[in-house]
Amino acid sequence: MAAAIARPAPSRSPLPRLFGRGGLALVIGAYTVYTLGPFLWLATMSVRTTGEISADHYAWPRPFHWEQFRVAWVDSDFATYFWNSTIVVVTAVAVVTLVGAAAAHALARYRFAGNRLVYGILFSSIIFPPQITLISLYQILVDYNLYNSLVGLTLVYISLQLPLTVYLLEGFFARIPQDLFDAAKMDGYGDLEIFRRIVLPIGMPAIATTLILNFIQLWNEFLFAVVLITDPEKRTLPIGIRAFMGDHFQDIGMIAAGVMISVVPVILAYAFFSEKLIRGMTAGAVK
Amino acid sequence: MAVVQLDRICKRYGGGGPPAVDDVDVTIGDGEFMVLLGPSGCGKSTTLRMIAGLETISSGTLSIDGRVVNEVPAKDRDIAMVFQSYALYPHMTVAENLSFGLRRRKTPAPEIERRVREVAEILGLAPYLARKPHALSGGQRQRVALGRAMVREPMVFLFDEPLSNLDAALRVNTRNELIKQHRRLGSTMIYVTHDQVEAMTMGTRICVMNGGRVAQVGAPLDVYWNPADTFVARFLGSPPMNLFAATLAEPGRVEAGGLRSRLTRWRPDALAPVVGRDVMVGVRAEDLSLDREAAGPEAGSVAGRVFAVEPLGAETLVSVELERGVECTARLSRGVQARIGEAIELFFPPTATFLFDAATTRAVPASAPLGAVH
Ligand SMILES: Nc1ncnc2c1ncn2[C@@H]1O[C@H](COP(=O)(O)OP(=O)(O)OP(=O)(O)O)[C@@H](O)[C@H]1O
Ligand SMILES: [Mg+2]
Repeated sequence: MAAAIARPAPSRSPLPRLFGRGGLALVIGAYTVYTLGPFLWLATMSVRTTGEISADHYAWPRPFHWEQFRVAWVDSDFATYFWNSTIVVVTAVAVVTLVGAAAAHALARYRFAGNRLVYGILFSSIIFPPQITLISLYQILVDYNLYNSLVGLTLVYISLQLPLTVYLLEGFFARIPQDLFDAAKMDGYGDLEIFRRIVLPIGMPAIATTLILNFIQLWNEFLFAVVLITDPEKRTLPIGIRAFMGDHFQDIGMIAAGVMISVVPVILAYAFFSEKLIRGMTAGAVK
Repeated sequence: MAVVQLDRICKRYGGGGPPAVDDVDVTIGDGEFMVLLGPSGCGKSTTLRMIAGLETISSGTLSIDGRVVNEVPAKDRDIAMVFQSYALYPHMTVAENLSFGLRRRKTPAPEIERRVREVAEILGLAPYLARKPHALSGGQRQRVALGRAMVREPMVFLFDEPLSNLDAALRVNTRNELIKQHRRLGSTMIYVTHDQVEAMTMGTRICVMNGGRVAQVGAPLDVYWNPADTFVARFLGSPPMNLFAATLAEPGRVEAGGLRSRLTRWRPDALAPVVGRDVMVGVRAEDLSLDREAAGPEAGSVAGRVFAVEPLGAETLVSVELERGVECTARLSRGVQARIGEAIELFFPPTATFLFDAATTRAVPASAPLGAVH
């Protein structure tokens, strides 16, 4: 690498100058192995029995016990957990995205008394760790008969993710040129229509980002779910997986199968929305 | 088709300070091309945005065709506006950008199709209808912005410096295109600019603004030849009109530090109010010459030392310093040989003299119109 520094820099950007093409590929390759390795290891364990795993942690599956997935899905109620998770997370993410985008638009675009106060309160709730609200949330949900219900959990998830969503979207929406809104007004559109036809499509990269973030975070959320849900039929996936962990015996093979099942939607969500993340949509609007 | 009437319109933005628009009183006739002209920050955009309905009116009434529209929201005014930034919808194709306003107004689809085609033909946008704005050049974007207003066939067109982002050649083209479209459509158009060439060539009338107030309204040449005050006199014309401070000792002639001039355009009674007072004598740079004979028998003169010579190709600008540091610029023919530091005397016909009251900066009304002699 010293040689690379000594050579006259072929490129103006600092990163290639430091590493060079090959060096960069090496680092990225190493990082990929580092992050993907444990995942692949888990994938092999999901088709091995716990007995086989204890005998040799790293062996290649022989034979492939695909029936572990059927056992998890049917016999261990993973179908129920999966369905519960889907209902709660999809509802929460949908509400967070719509309400968050509307709130962010209002905060970014309209001048009204208390605008910055609302923004300040939202921002302060991002600073504190959400765990400190756990006890009081528990009490509130009990008071309103929402404890141990998926509706209650959904409401909690919405309130958990809303502040950061509004914060991120406000920053993005505020940068949409005011002239676009004025032009739409001159074209005859009212506030709601402008939100739907201008803000949402132009804000799509930012909205897709928050959508993926919220989805992944809530799909994997454990702490609030385990405290606020007691019924086995109402478990979400993360608590369902935890049920395989006894005090003395852990069914590693089944846990791995459960994790593999739970990971699929996250990968799908990312594959579907990531394409929208890349494009900057305001190119060509003004100037 | 519409008459736009501004009746004592004021605009105060929050946070105090002087009003951005102060007591503007102008009527724009049906089918007129009115140019709002003025330096940066004089309230042109604010005035336009109040007409558009994008900015609230602090006081005064705005009416279109006799109907007061102060409280009518922008979307219901049937006015189209072209923004300086173009403000194209980045997520829509050119065709969608053009038809966005029509779709809102529930225009039948075949009619939308027809109008979009027609406007695209006129503006040469037909090949780009399926493109998004980011894939267009600056000039093409500008034409889409223009087309978006034209397809609507609104009562009133508003333009906020639509040409200021274009290069010189494109600017001239688009300027002519706009003049043509105004003739074709016959709609009322209000056009904001700080470019005096645009104002002189495009406007049926121009409205010169200064510090939020209307300084003068009139036909372009009328404003040029009969400026109401020193601000308008200096704002129209390049380089700006030369002004010389003097005291009017006697009617008929004025002399001050290197300047001598006869005031033949004013009868003695017209000068009576300013005799013995401080005045400003104005001479346009293009009226100064080295040729005493050409300036006539009663020629005025300016004497001083050359301190700058700027050959522009077609002509040469010569700047002269008079006594007491007064400066003056002349627009002379390109063959002129002037050296810096050289003493020089410039002449002008007495009919090219302007006179302003120094205390109020207002013009002293002449008995003989100046434009007539040229
Ligand atoms: N939103 C606003 N809030 C407060 N003051 C404003 C606002 N918009 C404009 N102003 C002030 O109002 C005055 C007039 O502004 P305006 O934009 O109308 O000027 P303009 O004539 O269009 O200038 P330019 O040629 O630079 O576009 C300026 O002094 C400006 O600072
Ligand atoms: Mg402006």
